[in-house]
Amino acid sequence: MKPKKISYMERRMSRQYLLLVLPGFIIFTIGLIVPLFMAVRYSFTDWDGMSAEKIFVGIQNYIDLFHDSEFRDAWWFTLKFTIGNTIIQNVVALLFAVALDSGIKAQKIYRTIFFIPCLISALVVGFVWLKMFSNVLPAINDFLGTSINFLLFGKKETVLSGLLIANNWQWIGYWMLIYLAGLQSVPAELYEAAKIDGAGPVKRFINVTIPMLAPAITICVVGITTGSLKVYDLLVSSTKGGPGRASTSMIYQTYTTAINGRKYGYGCAMSVTLVLVLLLVALIQVKGLKKREVQA
Amino acid sequence: MKRKKVIGLMMAAVMAVSLAACGGAGNSSNNAGGASSNTADGEDANDSGDVDEGDTGAGSGDTAASDAGSEAADAGNSEGEEVTLTVLAGQSTTDAGIEDMIDEALAEKYPEITLEWECVDWGNDFQPKMQQYMQSGLPDIMIGKAQDVATYAPQGILGEIDTQYLDKGLDAARENVTIDGKTYGLVYNALYQGVYYNKAMFAENNWEVPKTQDDLNKIIEDCKAKGITPFASHMVDTWSIGNVTMQFMMNDVFNKDAAWGDKFRAGEVSFSEDKDAQTAYEYNKLIFDNTYPETFSTEQTDCDAKMVQGEAAMKVSGSWSIQNFLDIDEGFEFGIFPFPNQAGDSKLIFEPNITIMTSAASEHPDAVNKVLDLLTSDKELAVEILDYTKTASMLKDVTPTFPNPSQEDIDRYAAEDMIVDVTLGNNQLVWGGFQEENAKDIAAWLQGDASFEDCLKASDDRVDSSSAN
Repeated sequence: MKPKKISYMERRMSRQYLLLVLPGFIIFTIGLIVPLFMAVRYSFTDWDGMSAEKIFVGIQNYIDLFHDSEFRDAWWFTLKFTIGNTIIQNVVALLFAVALDSGIKAQKIYRTIFFIPCLISALVVGFVWLKMFSNVLPAINDFLGTSINFLLFGKKETVLSGLLIANNWQWIGYWMLIYLAGLQSVPAELYEAAKIDGAGPVKRFINVTIPMLAPAITICVVGITTGSLKVYDLLVSSTKGGPGRASTSMIYQTYTTAINGRKYGYGCAMSVTLVLVLLLVALIQVKGLKKREVQA
Repeated sequence: MKRKKVIGLMMAAVMAVSLAACGGAGNSSNNAGGASSNTADGEDANDSGDVDEGDTGAGSGDTAASDAGSEAADAGNSEGEEVTLTVLAGQSTTDAGIEDMIDEALAEKYPEITLEWECVDWGNDFQPKMQQYMQSGLPDIMIGKAQDVATYAPQGILGEIDTQYLDKGLDAARENVTIDGKTYGLVYNALYQGVYYNKAMFAENNWEVPKTQDDLNKIIEDCKAKGITPFASHMVDTWSIGNVTMQFMMNDVFNKDAAWGDKFRAGEVSFSEDKDAQTAYEYNKLIFDNTYPETFSTEQTDCDAKMVQGEAAMKVSGSWSIQNFLDIDEGFEFGIFPFPNQAGDSKLIFEPNITIMTSAASEHPDAVNKVLDLLTSDKELAVEILDYTKTASMLKDVTPTFPNPSQEDIDRYAAEDMIVDVTLGNNQLVWGGFQEENAKDIAAWLQGDASFEDCLKASDDRVDSSSAN
């Protein structure tokens, strides 16, 4: 078989594409790839982050991780936070999107109101909800004479719920917009055909809307999962990983271990495990969800 | 196609220019970055920077300062040469804002020097920033706490402070910032730590300042009987747990054995076995059991407000609370006493706070010295800073003018030699990576998430992180 001849034009186009990609590629390499490899390298040392000495310790840091209860607790909290967020944000965002797509009045106003929180920094969101739970809502309690426990950040049993409320409040509007865009791109003929076939609203939603939204679901699920696995800034301004260590996420634990604890090598080992988990989760989700995607 | 090519090349060029511009900005913001060591220059500057003590001593404040400044200026860079110094300021909650005061005074005295400030929270961000700069080049000036000297000086990165500036400070300020006979920090002000109490409430209930645990427990019981919350606290801030624990450790552990931390690292003592250390941890439970149920949701400002509003009788804290107390109610009458220990001989805690350190590799040692000159000789500036931060002076002949209701108590403890420098404890058991991590375990124990034994064991397991070096 004769190999395909690459034309002069194609070669020129390739060079142009390469030229355009190059700046981004350089930034990506310097800002992400190089630090990643450096982190892997440091994870095999006992470096404290300050001294010039970096003694090679092999896989000792990784072995120590398995015996580290704080590391396990941080993973457990991160997993609970991720699962909670992924379920709540997807379901509620989809419901909001369906509601807004149903032709209700003042749709644009609702859309804007739901979207605004995601424009705010997570640090501010954490601070806002700390104030809400500790000052504003208890004051409303006093005003109404009720005794609802709003001090969610103050107890290890309730801190996860408080953080889920804060995080979902911030991000539901964002994911809702993605679902809304997906809903608006579903051809009306499909619904009409389903109607003619006798499908009710629930069946139409399950058999038409959901399959047609599969690409949006992939984006939302992967985005929410990876975002939740990386939670840090929300915690800094609200619970500071507490009470005790009850809301210490993996990133928070990695940061305090590597920087404050002056165990840079050990912290790098933690971050390497996080990167591996992030890659694995994203890969599984994308592969799994892609299979369910259909074309209109 | 030609048009596409031109557009493509233009876009690439724009991105390249943007990148170059970003890089340029980064470089200009950090003069110290990548500077090679020029210790010789620094030494020259120190040698040539002698200032006649007669000129800088007591006198008419600004005039004397001005004279000293002029001489320092003569010894330094050629006049009029504009210099930008980078400053990393690790600030306590009380310190935010002093940079503007310093800038203003500097513009008047040394207009050729500009300070480029990077102000961060000392507790959370100073150490990470220092670690970052140790890789890329230190800022010319660093402002931290006295305990930072023990962490960074052994790395050989801090410059020695010239005696002409140190001599303007109190002798007591030097001890914990001097390593192997060389002083690497200029201590500017100090905080006091102990139990702040509502004087009016104490008088109304005929409570005497407690000296023993029994005395304290009697007050707590009386508080409860009268529906008063004994202690205001804000345990949502884990640092506050760490802070009070060190106060307890100072009086029950370090006052007995100043080398307890060294023995801990040598395996001679441990938290799991040492009764005194355990007692220090257990005091946290005493506070927790006698404070608001919402302490893990209460921030410092709200906590201080409750104290001022008479909702609580006492608060284990430090001078940083005074700013809030007086902001909320200028007329609030409060005093301070050391948290009673088991032996009944507790001392009031003293903490050197703002500590100025310099880079050994600064490219502008003369300009750095001018800044030190300004800070140590401009008494008006010093009083302004002390009044603003509500702290005590560590400079000779400088006294803050803000009304401090607790000063009477401080003076009494000072007269009785019942004050101890907490830098001893902070050098024995460092804050970052040890005290602050232990505080999280204490919080977990108070929340019922861990046993007391687990909490002690976690501190023991952290022994490798207990020393800065």
